[in-house]
Amino acid sequence: MDNQQPTAFFIHGPSPLARLIFFAALSLSVMMADARLHYLTEIRLGLVALMHPLENLAALPANLYRGMSEYLVTHNTLLKENRRLTLLALQQGVELQSLKTLASENEHLHKLFGAAKLIAQPAKLAEITHTGRDPFTHKVMVNLGARQNIVAGQAVVDQTGVVGQVTLVYPFSSEVTLITDKTLAIPVQIERNGLRAIAFGQGRDGTIGLPYLPANVDIRKGDKLITSGIDGIYPAGLAVAMVIKLESNTDSPFARITCQPVAGVENHFQVLLLSPSSPVVADGRVINENAIKATAPSVSPSKSTIRALPHASH
Amino acid sequence: MQAIKPLSIYVSILLALLLQLLPWSGWGLLLRPDFILLTLIYWMLRAPQHCSIGTAWLVGIVVDLINGGLIGQNALAYTLTAFFAANYQRRLVLFNVGEQAGYVLALLLLAQVILFVVKLFGGGEAPGWTYFLASFTGIIFWQIVSFSRLGNDIHLHPH
Repeated sequence: MDNQQPTAFFIHGPSPLARLIFFAALSLSVMMADARLHYLTEIRLGLVALMHPLENLAALPANLYRGMSEYLVTHNTLLKENRRLTLLALQQGVELQSLKTLASENEHLHKLFGAAKLIAQPAKLAEITHTGRDPFTHKVMVNLGARQNIVAGQAVVDQTGVVGQVTLVYPFSSEVTLITDKTLAIPVQIERNGLRAIAFGQGRDGTIGLPYLPANVDIRKGDKLITSGIDGIYPAGLAVAMVIKLESNTDSPFARITCQPVAGVENHFQVLLLSPSSPVVADGRVINENAIKATAPSVSPSKSTIRALPHASH
Repeated sequence: MQAIKPLSIYVSILLALLLQLLPWSGWGLLLRPDFILLTLIYWMLRAPQHCSIGTAWLVGIVVDLINGGLIGQNALAYTLTAFFAANYQRRLVLFNVGEQAGYVLALLLLAQVILFVVKLFGGGEAPGWTYFLASFTGIIFWQIVSFSRLGNDIHLHPH
């Protein structure tokens, strides 16, 4: 140990305690500036863009692995999948024909009422790059960002239902908060009786809850929740969740309702990002099941009735 | 022990950052040790003249930016942990392997508890007890490094 540098023995500069107090105070003020004043959003955006190559590098092994396993899919699997998809396309083609009739009829009715015309905006297909690194939140990152005209607030769906909402947009990627996150609320409707409610993520166990509903509310186990569309973010009629548990406490006026998300919130690679005003949605089952709902009430019902009134009075 | 170049410290921290950035998910994410904090502790014990509380703070800020949470939470956790590593550095290098591992485990847990408290104040949900598993996988990782050649430099009496 004789050749050890003398500097290792005597640390120059301020004492550790002084440094601790200085840097702890600095951390606290940075936290305050970020949480309360939102000064640091711009700086974060820039730095995250700078870090992007590093993230790509880190994602490389997983991507390689996925590419390899995709490449090594057997002939048999591909054939099976092909057959299944052909069948599905056939079935959906039949349903699509009736949808066209309905759509034109719907358009005609909208014209009659003078309501805003529906514009179908294609959804963007995004790939999930990684799940959030924070065990306290339910978030994922997707590979589309401000460069692809993604804006915060866009609804995110998969083929079975609502996944979440874009909450933070970086230049090359964006952060999607899942519906199971504690901070996300989504206006829903019970499919069976049209009852409106707001569902909140519960965080734990990947479930969502329906708080503030009276204990005697008409909700049963197995009821399906769909988006009500009154927020203008989620188009109406998308599947959200299924009621799995109902509890009513005698000492509480509210029922405790737990629901399981329909979409594979935690396990998929691709999702669709819908633009906020987009009335027509997604592909697959969502449209099949709720074909009429998904197209018709997407301009929120209240709006069309208000616009319809002057016409009706004439 | 030869003189340590500051460059090797920064390169190793960058490597730890890359390990942290790998697309961990599910149990992998829960069990993932905090590679960056481990690297920081390692250098704070081995080269306290190059890796100080300020370094820990700066690295913490970078981690915060990458994680996308509240900026400053990791910085605070790393700063406090670094203080306890720096303050007892001289004693720590005299510890044997077991004692040192115990102390490092306490440091890792301290960092996690600080993050936990900050998150709870921020209105986050409480994760289950599995949250603290990362510290234990961290100490296993530390022991592996400890028994390798790199470990010879962080304790004078390796028994």
